[in-house]
Amino acid sequence: MPNMKKIAASAVSAIMAVSMLCSSAFADQPYEGYNYDWWGDPVPSQTGYVVDRVVTGLDFGSGTRYNTDAQLKEISDQTGNEVTKEVTIGELKEPQDLFIDRETQSLYIVDSGNNRILVTDVNYSRTFQVMDYFYNPETKKYETLKNPHGIFIRHVEDAENENESTMIYIADYDNCRILGVYADGTVFQIFERPASEFYDADVTFQPNKVVVDVAGNVYVNILSITDGAVMFAPDGSFSNFFGANRVEQTAQAIANKFWRTILSREAAAAFIQAVPMEFNNFDIDDEGFIYTVTASKSATTDIFKKMNPAGENILINLGFSDYTYGDMASYYYKNQTYGSQITDVDVDEDGTIRLLDYANGRIFEYTDECDLLFIYGGKGNQKGLFTNVTAIEAYNSVVYVLDSRKNSITTFKRTEFGDIVHEAMGLYNLGKYEEASGPWQEVLTRDSNYWFAYIGLGNSELSQGNYEKAMEYFYRNSRAGYNRAFKQFRMQFIRDNFNIFMIIVLVIIVALVVLSKVKKRLKAKKAGGNK
Amino acid sequence: MRFDLDMPAWKWPFYVARHPFEGFEDLRWKKAYNTKVSMVIVLCFFIITVCQQVMTGFLFNTNYVKIFNIVPLLVQTIILFFTWVIGNWSLCTLFDGEGSIKAITSVSAYALVPYLITQIVVIIASNVLLKSEGAFIVFFQYLGILWSVVLMISGIKTVHQYSVPKTLLAMIFTVAAMVVILFLLVLLLSLFQQVYIFGFSIYTELMYRFSL
Repeated sequence: MPNMKKIAASAVSAIMAVSMLCSSAFADQPYEGYNYDWWGDPVPSQTGYVVDRVVTGLDFGSGTRYNTDAQLKEISDQTGNEVTKEVTIGELKEPQDLFIDRETQSLYIVDSGNNRILVTDVNYSRTFQVMDYFYNPETKKYETLKNPHGIFIRHVEDAENENESTMIYIADYDNCRILGVYADGTVFQIFERPASEFYDADVTFQPNKVVVDVAGNVYVNILSITDGAVMFAPDGSFSNFFGANRVEQTAQAIANKFWRTILSREAAAAFIQAVPMEFNNFDIDDEGFIYTVTASKSATTDIFKKMNPAGENILINLGFSDYTYGDMASYYYKNQTYGSQITDVDVDEDGTIRLLDYANGRIFEYTDECDLLFIYGGKGNQKGLFTNVTAIEAYNSVVYVLDSRKNSITTFKRTEFGDIVHEAMGLYNLGKYEEASGPWQEVLTRDSNYWFAYIGLGNSELSQGNYEKAMEYFYRNSRAGYNRAFKQFRMQFIRDNFNIFMIIVLVIIVALVVLSKVKKRLKAKKAGGNK
Repeated sequence: MRFDLDMPAWKWPFYVARHPFEGFEDLRWKKAYNTKVSMVIVLCFFIITVCQQVMTGFLFNTNYVKIFNIVPLLVQTIILFFTWVIGNWSLCTLFDGEGSIKAITSVSAYALVPYLITQIVVIIASNVLLKSEGAFIVFFQYLGILWSVVLMISGIKTVHQYSVPKTLLAMIFTVAAMVVILFLLVLLLSLFQQVYIFGFSIYTELMYRFSL
């Protein structure tokens, strides 16, 4: 039967071809997605994001300086060098920060080593603008940057013209100042070291990051200050320190506190003062909450905070302060602790929080209530992995990660799985639990380990009144959810079985009464008999 | 006579639990120490600890029972109990204690009863209470522990005919003795393992040599 053989051979070759296709499809991700289960153990999970593009400065070609021709001539005269309009971008050098301006959809890259700011749009398709000379109308001179570390863009509605509606704040690290410039590069304000007696004379003023709130208050993150961010009023005067971390309660800190209460003031002064960790980076969301992260291998106190304008961490009040951010457990190997070091935070337009882990090059994506959604990225030399991450930004489900050693920007795009999760999350956040149950079911068919889907489904069942089903979904997924479902379930159970309960109680009472009577009679009989 | 003390052996633990101070005196007077009842209580201690691990309601269960392992529970209950008894006996015989091993075993086991009873209550309550009503559970837990500790002090005091401070001191030193005993036990185990491995390797060597 030659025919049969032929069919069999073609079938086998078809299977082989298909299996080869499958295996090649697996190979395109340099990292494996995982998540944490109820017990805090890592479990494999579908990845929510895959690497889309990796770009370096060499891919950018050339850009233009945003200064006018007249300005360029002046700059050339002042510096003695020929400063041209056209610039070849070339390799980035230790870039420290990224910023996405959602209104104009532009991407700002702080190219620290080259002392300049690069501006393009979120797809890198617009011609690059290079910002390195800033006209200062007061001194009639041009300001330059020296190792800038951070940038923030603020839009004001009631500005006189369009140019002045965009205010750019640059943390000029080695020049020890914050440079405030308009869109055309005209300096409108320079924030320098506060002269106030509140600011320690021994401490440098080297701004690492800068954030501006809606009212125009400028928050400056300085790595040598543990009291919090330096806060300037809109007029440039120092107002106070904002949002310090708490002191980590180590055994030493507690012992010091104990000694300080019993020793004299002079003797206590000899002890090392326990100081909180300074935070490393921050971000602000549309509602004015400031999010800070602290990059520490060992500390667990205030690794991530969400602060209201009064500087209070509201995550503590929501009961989330016990959460572990980043990887759950740090491990100890050859005198070194390996744990997550959260170096940057980004909060996107729908409140999703992304933390960037410097130690492992990973991105941890959380909901606005700090529930872990995805973990992606990793450390390594492969394309899509990182060696020295510094900044993260997200816009429109695309995540941008800056690597200051590879001098590259990596963009992640959301997978289908990630899209479904976020669709469900969106409905869930709007309180449309029932509508969200469809996408959540879809999530579970793709990844039955995905714990947050169970919470979504539990809430859906709870809102429909199926308390027992809700309890099933919440079991070993959410204590708070289970508690809510169980409360309703218990109430309903008692209501439904009220008659039976009453009968049981009555029977017990009657039985007790009868028993005591019988006992009494028996005793009386005994006593009578003894007489 | 206030109470009828001629009761079956299984009633003694409950009697003692209800009379923390005279109960043990009566027990000693009547010589009503019973090893069988004590063993049952120790077994209950183990079973209830297992139940506590796996049957406590989800809202109150903080145990890691993803992988259920019975060995640590055995160590925490039965082995701990017997180390306590042996440690206490070996210490107190040196310091004028009058208690025999049987007496110490009975007294220690009987003292556990309130803890076990409250633990059962807690396990049941944890399945019907809400998180906000957790204070009851904490209350019962502490009540049981406190009651058992009081019983244990009273029992050890009576059984050895000690004063209260001496009892407390003896109990603290018993804990130290337990640590020593467990340390020696672990040491012994690992030594025996080494010896076993040594013997086994000689055996395999001989087998190869003579190709048996």
